[in-house]
Amino acid sequence: MAQTPGNPMIPDGVEGTGGQAAGGTRAGSGTDTGGSSRAAVEADGLHFAYVRGEAVLAGLSMRADAGRLTCVLGPNGSGKTTLLRLLVGLARPGEGEVRLAGRPLGSYRRADLARRVAYVPQETLAAAPFTVAETVLMGRSPHIGALGFESEGDWEAAEAALRQTGTARFADRGLEDLSGGERQRVLLARALAQEPDVILLDEPTAFLDIKHQHAIYSLLRRLARVEGKAVVAVSHDVSLASAYGDRLVLLSKGRVAAAGTPDEVVRPAVLAGVYETPVEVRIDEATGRPYVLPRPPE
Amino acid sequence: MCRTRSTLLLRAACAAALALAAGCDDSAAPGASSAGAAAPGPGSASAAPAAGEGAAAPPMRILSLAPNLTEILFAMGLGDHIVGRTTYCLHPPEAAALPAVGDTLHLDLEAIIRAEPTLAFTVTRLPETVRRLEGLGIRVVPVENDRLGELREAIATIGRETGRPEAAAALLKTIEADLAAVRGRVAGLARPRTLFAFPMTVGSPRIMIAGRGSFVDELLDVAGAENAYPDAADWPTVSPQQVVAMQPEVVVINAAVPGPAGRDEAIRRGWESLSSVPAVRDGRVYVLPEAYLTIPGPRVGQAARVLAETIHPDLAGEAAP
Amino acid sequence: MTPRPLTRRRYVFTILVWMAVWLIVSAAAVVVGGRLWAWPSAAQVWDVLWLRLEWVATASAVGAALALAGLAMQALLRNPLADPYILGVSGGAGLAFILASLFVGAAAAPALAFVGALATVGLVYGIARRRGRLEPYTLLLAGVILNAFYAAAIMLVTAVVRPQERGDIALWMMGNIGAFGPQWELIGVVAAAAVGAGILFAFLAKGFNLVAMGEDTAGALGVPVHRLRLAAFVAASLVTGASVALAGPIGFVGLICPHILRMVLGPDHRRLVPASFFFGATFLVLADLATCLSEGAAIPAMPVGVLTALAGGPFFIYLLRTRWRKRLEIR
Repeated sequence: MAQTPGNPMIPDGVEGTGGQAAGGTRAGSGTDTGGSSRAAVEADGLHFAYVRGEAVLAGLSMRADAGRLTCVLGPNGSGKTTLLRLLVGLARPGEGEVRLAGRPLGSYRRADLARRVAYVPQETLAAAPFTVAETVLMGRSPHIGALGFESEGDWEAAEAALRQTGTARFADRGLEDLSGGERQRVLLARALAQEPDVILLDEPTAFLDIKHQHAIYSLLRRLARVEGKAVVAVSHDVSLASAYGDRLVLLSKGRVAAAGTPDEVVRPAVLAGVYETPVEVRIDEATGRPYVLPRPPE
Repeated sequence: MCRTRSTLLLRAACAAALALAAGCDDSAAPGASSAGAAAPGPGSASAAPAAGEGAAAPPMRILSLAPNLTEILFAMGLGDHIVGRTTYCLHPPEAAALPAVGDTLHLDLEAIIRAEPTLAFTVTRLPETVRRLEGLGIRVVPVENDRLGELREAIATIGRETGRPEAAAALLKTIEADLAAVRGRVAGLARPRTLFAFPMTVGSPRIMIAGRGSFVDELLDVAGAENAYPDAADWPTVSPQQVVAMQPEVVVINAAVPGPAGRDEAIRRGWESLSSVPAVRDGRVYVLPEAYLTIPGPRVGQAARVLAETIHPDLAGEAAP
Repeated sequence: MTPRPLTRRRYVFTILVWMAVWLIVSAAAVVVGGRLWAWPSAAQVWDVLWLRLEWVATASAVGAALALAGLAMQALLRNPLADPYILGVSGGAGLAFILASLFVGAAAAPALAFVGALATVGLVYGIARRRGRLEPYTLLLAGVILNAFYAAAIMLVTAVVRPQERGDIALWMMGNIGAFGPQWELIGVVAAAAVGAGILFAFLAKGFNLVAMGEDTAGALGVPVHRLRLAAFVAASLVTGASVALAGPIGFVGLICPHILRMVLGPDHRRLVPASFFFGATFLVLADLATCLSEGAAIPAMPVGVLTALAGGPFFIYLLRTRWRKRLEIR
């Protein structure tokens, strides 16, 4: 993508206005307790099982603050997607509680919750041939009335979201005509059109090439730092999460194995224990953040 | 000693032969055991009925495979010879006591074999049925019976086949007299446009009526009416719009199959909406329950009379000549 | 198609346009179908006018009901081949109707048909429910099972009744507009059910759109997915049951009309719901007019269900083969 001014997808080296410099703040351990800002989303002792007897989450507690990009990491089957669905309210925990701005999720009305929390699931094909603009407009549905009439304000919010994700030029195209990366950005635009306080994304860069991976994460970080949203992204790429995330939460077998800044979490002993494979950790001199080099198993 | 034993044997043999002969006689006696259970008689089933044998006709075991044929046979005094009927043969009441062998579409061959008929009258020309029955050694006589003319021929044929031509002639004479009487009563009266219809069927807006040239149409003619339906057809169906176009002055609805309570009311209500039809305007929509109105049989005279008295109400008060 | 925001003004305007189209077509159907200019006396014109009005009203109510039900079923089951009868409602209503008209009487048959539809709804729900929820897959399976059962039951009844009743049953199964004798109360019931369903689906339309994007997506955007499914299922089944009670199982309307509209209007259910209502009504009015006009020739008037089936098949093949295929895809 061309590095033209005003293009929001320029990968960042240094942040623009406001925001903190890249890098974590302070150390922590176990459950994540850092941050002076009030938590936007909080999980407290969550237990969840799809099938009785097989717990997917076993006593998980974490928090995601406003103004921060929190990345949830962990091996397959550690419960990342389930955690996200619980945070959004698509499923109810067997035990424990999810809180949004201090209040339990259950105390919010469904439409109210949808106005505050946006969820971008892993990319699936839609069952109907909606255009990009129609898809993004759907993000406005918590704000529009029962019959579904849209106002000029809704249209403007949708257009802003399209611009922010650089997908405005696809507005009239069908969703299936786009590439995986473009589609993912459209889904993100839909989430932005919701004008939420919290954005939850499930592996937003799963099918993307490296250029688009960095573009997405850069945008996510800006959304957190500049617009003050609480952004939670599930990721399978530890280095990418480390490069952009303000907080990392590492899950293992339904529990938090480590949480804190990238420096605190991306450590060989910690990672090797969770991923059950030897890793080497180096520091990226350009950003000061750690990155991971997996080593072949012994 | 030897002589006594052989005499005894000889006497026993004679006695047995006599007993056997007496037994044969019993089973051949007409009417003795044929009413009620079909008694299996030995041997006599293969006797071929001969035409024109006169009063001492060989024993006949008749299978009647249509309701109107059953009526004709009873009317000719042959009721005792019937050994099997269809499930729909319910008139006269005595017929109900006879064993049922199915209907023209589904014959109960086992029941037929048990009845051991020698002669079968059917109205069907289905070669399948005819072949099956003939395969059992039964003489099959198909008679057509859809028009008045065919009715006359059917009676004559039955008379011939059963060796009772005089009974047939007598029945024919009665029928002709009945019809002539009705014709006489309506002669000179105005002939209203009449529709003969069946009750509405659920699920279809069309009703079935008698077309020109059908048996019922002939009865209407005898009863002094003109069929409001203009075309030649047996049982056409018409839409309400066509009824409005035909503007019948009298409508006769034959609700023969017993229906639930209030059905006649429902039928009348259905017709009421066609207010431009003269029959509806003048209150001349009649519901008749008699089942024999559509069956060409011995009761045609009665049918014609009922129709005439319905279509010409002034006649009902007069005594029939 | 350039998407434009769906404002209240545009919505109302669209409904008015559709309504005008339907009224004009219906008026033409009444006049032309009855040849109102050709009768010799005013009394006859009056009679035929009311006959035509009744039949056009029936066609409108049934057409609207079936098109709406078909749309809802296609959304509910995420299946482009879904039609109103796919979950067995027509079988249940049909069996009840046939048994009632044989043993109880013609007057009670429609009411009992509706009861049959209700019973089927309960049955399907009971069979398909998993953990208190309705999933499209289990719904489809339950519907297939029930349809097979009802088809067998109807065949059994057909085999054991008298020959003339057999013909009546067969005729009813084809689907007919109109009866000999007024049915205004029943037409009113079906019309009310269709309007009710239309209003309900108009409120559910937003949810239908979102569910098409994904169940989790819809849930996260505030759609009560399982309640939506239940409401759509029950409403579509009831309006189908009422429609079958009035006119028998007329086929293809519920399948074709939503697809035609999708071709033109796109997949947005907010537009499709009011369009289905009026287009379904118009469609069936036209089909009924066609059967009415075809009656002059040697062919006796065919039941409208036969016409829709004859026309529907080839039309659908055409749809599949042309470039419209893409717009129809529902995955």
